[in-house]
Amino acid sequence: MIPPEVLLPVRILFGAPVAAILFGFFVMRRVKPEWTHLPILASCAAVTASSMMLAAYVYAGKGFDQPVMHWSVSGDWGVSFGLRIDGPCAAVLAMVAFVGSLIHVYAAGYMKGDPGFSRFFLVFHLFFLAMIGLLTANDYVQMYLFWELVGVASYLLIGFWYHKETARAAALKAFLTNRIGDLGFLLAVLVMISVFKTTRLQLVYFHIAAGRLELVSLIALGLTWAACAKSAQWPLYFWLPDAMEGPTPTSALMHAATMVTAGVFLLVRSWPVIEAVEGLPHLIAWIGALTALGSGVIACAKKDLKRILAYSTVSHLGLMMLALGVGKVGVAVFHLVVHGFFKAALFLCAGNIAHALHQSTANVDEVGGLSRSMPMTHASFLLAACSLAGFYPLGGFFSKDAILDAAWHHGGALSALSLLIAAVSGFYIFRMLFLTFFGARPEQSRDARFHEAEPLLSVPVLCLALGSALVGFAGGPVTRILASGWVMVPPGSPVMPGDINLPHMNMVVALLGTAMACVGAAGAYCATMVFPGWDWRWRGGRVEALIESDFGWKIVVGWFAAAARSSAHVIGVLFDHKLWDGFLESLPRALGTGADAIARAAQGRLNDYLWWMAAGTALLLGRVLR
Amino acid sequence: MNLTVAVWATTGAVFSIGLAIVVVRRQLLAMLLGLELMLAAVNVSLVHHAELYRDEQALAVVVLVIAVAAAEAVVGLSLILRLRRAGVAADTAQLRELRG
Repeated sequence: MIPPEVLLPVRILFGAPVAAILFGFFVMRRVKPEWTHLPILASCAAVTASSMMLAAYVYAGKGFDQPVMHWSVSGDWGVSFGLRIDGPCAAVLAMVAFVGSLIHVYAAGYMKGDPGFSRFFLVFHLFFLAMIGLLTANDYVQMYLFWELVGVASYLLIGFWYHKETARAAALKAFLTNRIGDLGFLLAVLVMISVFKTTRLQLVYFHIAAGRLELVSLIALGLTWAACAKSAQWPLYFWLPDAMEGPTPTSALMHAATMVTAGVFLLVRSWPVIEAVEGLPHLIAWIGALTALGSGVIACAKKDLKRILAYSTVSHLGLMMLALGVGKVGVAVFHLVVHGFFKAALFLCAGNIAHALHQSTANVDEVGGLSRSMPMTHASFLLAACSLAGFYPLGGFFSKDAILDAAWHHGGALSALSLLIAAVSGFYIFRMLFLTFFGARPEQSRDARFHEAEPLLSVPVLCLALGSALVGFAGGPVTRILASGWVMVPPGSPVMPGDINLPHMNMVVALLGTAMACVGAAGAYCATMVFPGWDWRWRGGRVEALIESDFGWKIVVGWFAAAARSSAHVIGVLFDHKLWDGFLESLPRALGTGADAIARAAQGRLNDYLWWMAAGTALLLGRVLR
Repeated sequence: MNLTVAVWATTGAVFSIGLAIVVVRRQLLAMLLGLELMLAAVNVSLVHHAELYRDEQALAVVVLVIAVAAAEAVVGLSLILRLRRAGVAADTAQLRELRG
């Protein structure tokens, strides 16, 4: 029984997007395709309102986990669809709905006039709906379905401009990489079914709490593998930087709200399972830290604006993984929320610049000194960049400080790494800021085409940037929302996640983190403003080749891809072409030969047939008379 | 010698001769005659067994067989006649349209 006070928001949460997509597909797309976004924007507003109501409900200390329907029941097993509204769900859902809706508004301006306008909006909203379903799932199989739906929608959106070869390749890369990751999720679900006979989150928690740990490491490893693919962590991160081939609103939605956060969310949801495996949290922390540092360094060297931001996303997801790995689930979710705001704002700023150029993306070789011609975009970018770098009192400061604090208390190399990551992220984001908005350099082929984006584009960006600046002050409420999660777990049980509360601010860590960010920003100032041509001069050597190949990992992935392709070729030649096609092609010949042999016995003589008839009759008579 | 044994022997022999003619001979006319022999043998056998088992229905079957034999002779002979008129030999060695 869903509590009556949240029945309406819960219904709207699913009913509005489904209705909007169906109405858009069957009516608007035919009657007035350029108005397809209207029902979808209305649905966004309704979803945002209802997710805020749910967040308020959880804030009040309540929550529920309720099966709603059973699907394809056979015997005592079926897929149960349900809702689990608790802390992590409500916090992330509120961010996804709010940020996602603003990106929808932006997309209405950005995609205007595109021949695929209505197709874009329908798939875009499907993406949004899939993420809502994933966040509210109370069952692993249900989560898996929405997880795959997210993957499909991302494939359709990355390859949205399907006439571009690179877009098609990027879409395929993203989809296949995610499929490889999904294998882990599938394995985990199957093992869960065979061991626990249930996939409902809450019951799995109970089984873990009761100490049923056989094969749990397999489940946990499978889930971690899947999360590494979806949340773009090493070794499966490489699809994300290419995924910016889609329209910019897609990148913003994917990087901020819907796609990459799913992996972190899966790990948050499965934290009791992960924690039950000794050493796995540590592994996750290290994967996160190394991915964050490596991709941060790569982001420092990229030229394409969206690609810089894509590597920055990988870096920040790594930070979330680091926070998870040291046991601070709440910190990871808080950074997820804050990151959603500033990353969406940054992507949409890059989109504004590209839009002014009438291109799908922009390059630092093409733009420079935009601060005067695009003041609104500049202001938004500045706010979001300061938030990303972690300057007090913007949102990023609080969440990043919490992560640094968590790593600090964990101690060892992880704390040093996290401080280094803070410096690197300060460097790459300020390098991007200085290169694009300040002082046009001779290397930049800037001309007078730039003009500020129209209000439909610039206002949502400003809202997001303001949100990213202010969301840090929501630390208290977010903590409270998060803390009232896990309501169904018996208090004091060993599956209670390590630390759901945000840590109190530690003066040493806060100062150290800010100092590192300042060092990064100052370094960026030196490299771009004091020596304006440096960014072009250092290139061309072995260092650039190393960074361009993602420290060699792209080459390794290339080997894997080549091995897969050649084995597919071998299978195609040996099995498909030779064995199966050969069988199919020889079948008619064999039948013809057999038919000829039979035909030789039938010479068309009546007497022969009469012989056969007599013999047959005799045989039958013999059987009957015996 | 028992009458039944004699009837079986006679009708069996006549039926076998008819069957042999039908199977071995190539002329359609001869085959038709062989067919008539087979029908006649069956008729004789039926008459005897009708008497033996006091079954009048068997006699009805005999009448039916005679009628069918007559009709068959008519159809068969007219077919042969048409073949002859068309200048085709009524010989199964020549009529081999069923050849595979």
